[in-house]
Amino acid sequence: MTEEETPVPQPAPTPLSDLAHETAEEHPPPAASAGATVFDVDDLSVLYSGFRAVKDVDISITKHEITAFIGPSGCGKTTVLRCFNRMNDLIEGAAVEGSLKYHGVDLYGKDVNPVEVRRRIGMVFQKPNPFPKSIFENVAYGPKLAGIKKKSELDGIVEQALRGAAIWDEVKDRLHKSGLGLSGGQQQRLCIARALAVNPEVILMDEPCSALDPIATGRIEDLMEEIKQDYTIIIVTHNMQQAARVSDRCAFFTTEVNPDSDQRTGTLVEFDATEKMFSNPSDERTENYVTGRFG
Amino acid sequence: MVRAGFNAELEQLRLQVEVMAVRVDQNLERMKDFLAAGDLEVAAVTVAADDDIDAMNLSLTERCYDLLARESPVASDLRFVMSVLRVLGELERVGDLALRVVKVGEDWSLVRASASTYDILVSMAETSVEQFREALRAWSSQDLDLADHLARSGPVLDVANAQLVRELLLLEGPSAVATALHSLVIGKSLDRIADHSAIIGSRLRYLLTGDPDHLAAEIR
Repeated sequence: MTEEETPVPQPAPTPLSDLAHETAEEHPPPAASAGATVFDVDDLSVLYSGFRAVKDVDISITKHEITAFIGPSGCGKTTVLRCFNRMNDLIEGAAVEGSLKYHGVDLYGKDVNPVEVRRRIGMVFQKPNPFPKSIFENVAYGPKLAGIKKKSELDGIVEQALRGAAIWDEVKDRLHKSGLGLSGGQQQRLCIARALAVNPEVILMDEPCSALDPIATGRIEDLMEEIKQDYTIIIVTHNMQQAARVSDRCAFFTTEVNPDSDQRTGTLVEFDATEKMFSNPSDERTENYVTGRFG
Repeated sequence: MVRAGFNAELEQLRLQVEVMAVRVDQNLERMKDFLAAGDLEVAAVTVAADDDIDAMNLSLTERCYDLLARESPVASDLRFVMSVLRVLGELERVGDLALRVVKVGEDWSLVRASASTYDILVSMAETSVEQFREALRAWSSQDLDLADHLARSGPVLDVANAQLVRELLLLEGPSAVATALHSLVIGKSLDRIADHSAIIGSRLRYLLTGDPDHLAAEIR
């Protein structure tokens, strides 16, 4: 994508524009930035109305890598994922403690604009959720919101995004038909295209394949492998084989129960290279979980 | 604890490997008996028993493939299945080496005829079988100390083997060459039995620790 095709969709200057992540160097070649830290999470906790839902999260997310969050239901992995683009702001009573830095800037800083955060850090959900609009409109929605009006420009962005999500060939002749007419797997790739259209740096995926059959799942996994050259991906998955297949690093969360109050709090147990986590994890709880003996 | 069926299958597999090792051990005992008396019937029983060992090797290898395909084991489970596959290979090899000794057959009398070298062979057989028993004990109790001891034991029969060769070179007379050739084959086989037993120890050590250095030591 050239600069002309994708002007920065920024209505007003935001504090985030201080970051190195500018349009001119939107996607530097991976080699130049391999190993760079995108997020630095230090002692993060998430509270819902004063109740500590997740605690002790120390993670760093590396550029152009896929980081997987695994763990049993209720361990807080989705809650933590939603911190990365401030989706928890939308939940009343939710609060975050500790620090979550995005390129060194506190993501929860007072003057950070959450809308800009969500443009740079896109999200794909568990259940494919296309808008009840045409395929084209689904993808063009974000860029239009950002002020792009020219038809030729939108055409270019939509095609690029659909190609990026490996669905262009399947939909190019029916761009103006409803997105809801696609199969589940196609809908999910459409949602990925929609996320790509606003040119984010990071894509958060919350169990993106849990509603898909194995073939569609395989396509999404292939796609993740392809797009990680240009994006940084964090994925929450229940499918351990999927985490083992696609991720470079892996974080295992579990639930601790306070015996006095019976309160359950999610906590990070281990964060390491995926290879290590699935061959010889350091923590016995990780071993028990990845070998399927949790509990 | 979930995956109870899978756990049971892994435990069953560990036991079956032990059973196969016991059969190899029985054949090693027969090999020693043959070496002591040159009984051709004992040699024949050893050869027949080795077919059972080979059949076990095949069926346990199939079980490993099956577990890999159905259960996708990871971490210690994966190391376990891979170690079983590799230990099976060692057991099968030790079984074959015992056969090599008994296949000397009626030429045993030529080996027996040279007292000095024969005594060395009998003592080497003791050592190699003892080494194998230690490997068997280590496997059946999944004992890291024993495994580590075996892995560090080094070439226990090198000195005896060198001494055997020196003695054989001194042999004279019409049957000296035949005696030397058979004795060499037996000596080399016993030496290798001890080596393979030590390798079982190093494979077990990596299974138990998962330490990359132990894997490197195992491959060597």
